[in-house]
Amino acid sequence: MHDVLERPAPTTPVPPAARSAARRRNGRARWELTARITALSLFCLLLLFPFVWLVSQSLKDTNQYFAVPFEWIPSPFRWENFTDVIFKYEFLHYIGNSLWLAVYAVVVNILSSSFVAYGFSRFRFPGRNALFMVVLATMMLPGQVMTISLYRFYRDIGWIDTFYPLLVPKLFGAAFEIFLFRQFFLSLPREIDEAARIDGCGTLRTWWHIILPQSKPVIIVVAVFTFLGSWRELFGPLIYLTGEENRTLPLGLLYFTSPFGSSLPMLMAAIVISLIPPVVLYALGQKYIDKGVAIAEIK
Amino acid sequence: MTIALEPQRPQRRWWRREGVQGYLYISPWLLGFLMFGVAPLIAAFMTSLSKANVFRTIRFVGTDNYEKILTNDPVFATIAGNMLIYVIGSTVISIGLGLILALLLHKDFRGNHVFRTLIYVPSLLVGIATAYLFKQVFRGGEVGLANMFLSLFGTDPVNWLGDSDKPWLALVALILVNVWFAGGTMLIFLAGLKGIPASYFEAARVDGAGPWQMFRKVTLPLLSPVIVFNTVMALIGHIQVFETPLAFANSGGVATGNPLGYENSLGTFVTYLYVKGFVYQDMGYASALAFIMFAATLLLTGLVLWLARRFTAYGDADQN
Repeated sequence: MHDVLERPAPTTPVPPAARSAARRRNGRARWELTARITALSLFCLLLLFPFVWLVSQSLKDTNQYFAVPFEWIPSPFRWENFTDVIFKYEFLHYIGNSLWLAVYAVVVNILSSSFVAYGFSRFRFPGRNALFMVVLATMMLPGQVMTISLYRFYRDIGWIDTFYPLLVPKLFGAAFEIFLFRQFFLSLPREIDEAARIDGCGTLRTWWHIILPQSKPVIIVVAVFTFLGSWRELFGPLIYLTGEENRTLPLGLLYFTSPFGSSLPMLMAAIVISLIPPVVLYALGQKYIDKGVAIAEIK
Repeated sequence: MTIALEPQRPQRRWWRREGVQGYLYISPWLLGFLMFGVAPLIAAFMTSLSKANVFRTIRFVGTDNYEKILTNDPVFATIAGNMLIYVIGSTVISIGLGLILALLLHKDFRGNHVFRTLIYVPSLLVGIATAYLFKQVFRGGEVGLANMFLSLFGTDPVNWLGDSDKPWLALVALILVNVWFAGGTMLIFLAGLKGIPASYFEAARVDGAGPWQMFRKVTLPLLSPVIVFNTVMALIGHIQVFETPLAFANSGGVATGNPLGYENSLGTFVTYLYVKGFVYQDMGYASALAFIMFAATLLLTGLVLWLARRFTAYGDADQN
């Protein structure tokens, strides 16, 4: 498939007649760029519409919500929808639950996954590559297969309606994050490790004092992805957290319609609230995430 | 009496050895894999071969659960049909749209960064929140945004999620939602495109290749590993779709109260598994469903890889 490409480019001098051809090409390029930007603008408009609509609907009362024709700018703005959702609809509590679960997941996942990845990237041991293939293969396994027997196990040891089923498995590292850390660690020069070892630094201290401080980009990527994953997780909490007291934000949203069926603007406000943290996090870590996605997915 | 002097070897303690240390570092994962991966997998397989009655006494029933699902479960038959349409439709959107957007963005111009961010961010928001948002977007009557959009073209409002004559409309809405989440595949395609050396495009241009030829003969072959990767990941993700169908089927827009939607038109593997296992507490049946879902995933992945190899071989033959 490369034969088209291997022919050397002709290096004849440009005759004057070619200049008009170049100008024509220039005109075409400009036309092409305009088409590109138009297409992208139209698509982005399509993408944004539901979100603008969402914000608009979240600031209305029920009558305004159903008004035909539709009003993009609510009058008056009902900012109290947001305070009502947070304080009267218990969302403060749900947000609290989701927030500490997500922060726990971020901290624990960074520590455990980088620890395991350090083992995979800096030590030679029999079966290492085969085991790493197993790490990658576990990403393909649908989690639901395991959930059923895990649910029964947790039920037998009395963990249903506690946070333990969500907390404990995170202590053992996550496949995708181990993979991200390992790829990054392999790109770090080993000379610094070596120097630390000669100075009498143990491997544990090398991981903590040498490797991790150099790993800011991958730590940020893992932190953002872990936070997002935990923030939006529904299946696990739905199964393990049965009581109202332990509801996370996604569960609060899922059950929103049951007690207050008609208060759709409130639901929209709750959706807006739950979408703010991911957007803010992305904005903060954008520089690293764009690169991180590329590192992660291509290799 | 002589004292045997052992030569002072630099004896390293056993736990200092490299191999042992390596295992120590990966031991958390290894332990977690055995406890939360292998053990529940084996247990789930045993469960799938059994049936528990109301007193929780478990009876071994062989492959009964599998046979019933595959030959004698009309709900599963509907769901398998749903999944086939949903997975194909959604994967075409994720890959096709993702690739088109990446090609549009694969050029330096002012504002490129803004477009990329706008397209990528929604894919980070996927979950129950966006599921409920799109449930309202695809609401029947004139209030839904989708119908507002259609009314611009003079089309009558469509009852997307609750039409008893056309239950497949709900599935169409479910597929269309993926238009908003193509940003994830777009970003990976973009990274793949950046990996193709610019000199290749330049050489093809000098040789007089038009845009279509350039795409067909340079971009597509060189991007094919990324396309295969994205396709496999999209398939796996779409097979496990859960939040959106659950939200779409949930009471509110449709007054069915059936988590699988009107006439099961929104049932997916995972929502059915959830209903069977955790609403009806039939763990044996749900486990068998999970393994069938896993088998379907492997089958589709294998099919994509096989097609990819055929496609590549065809491409080579084309050159000769």
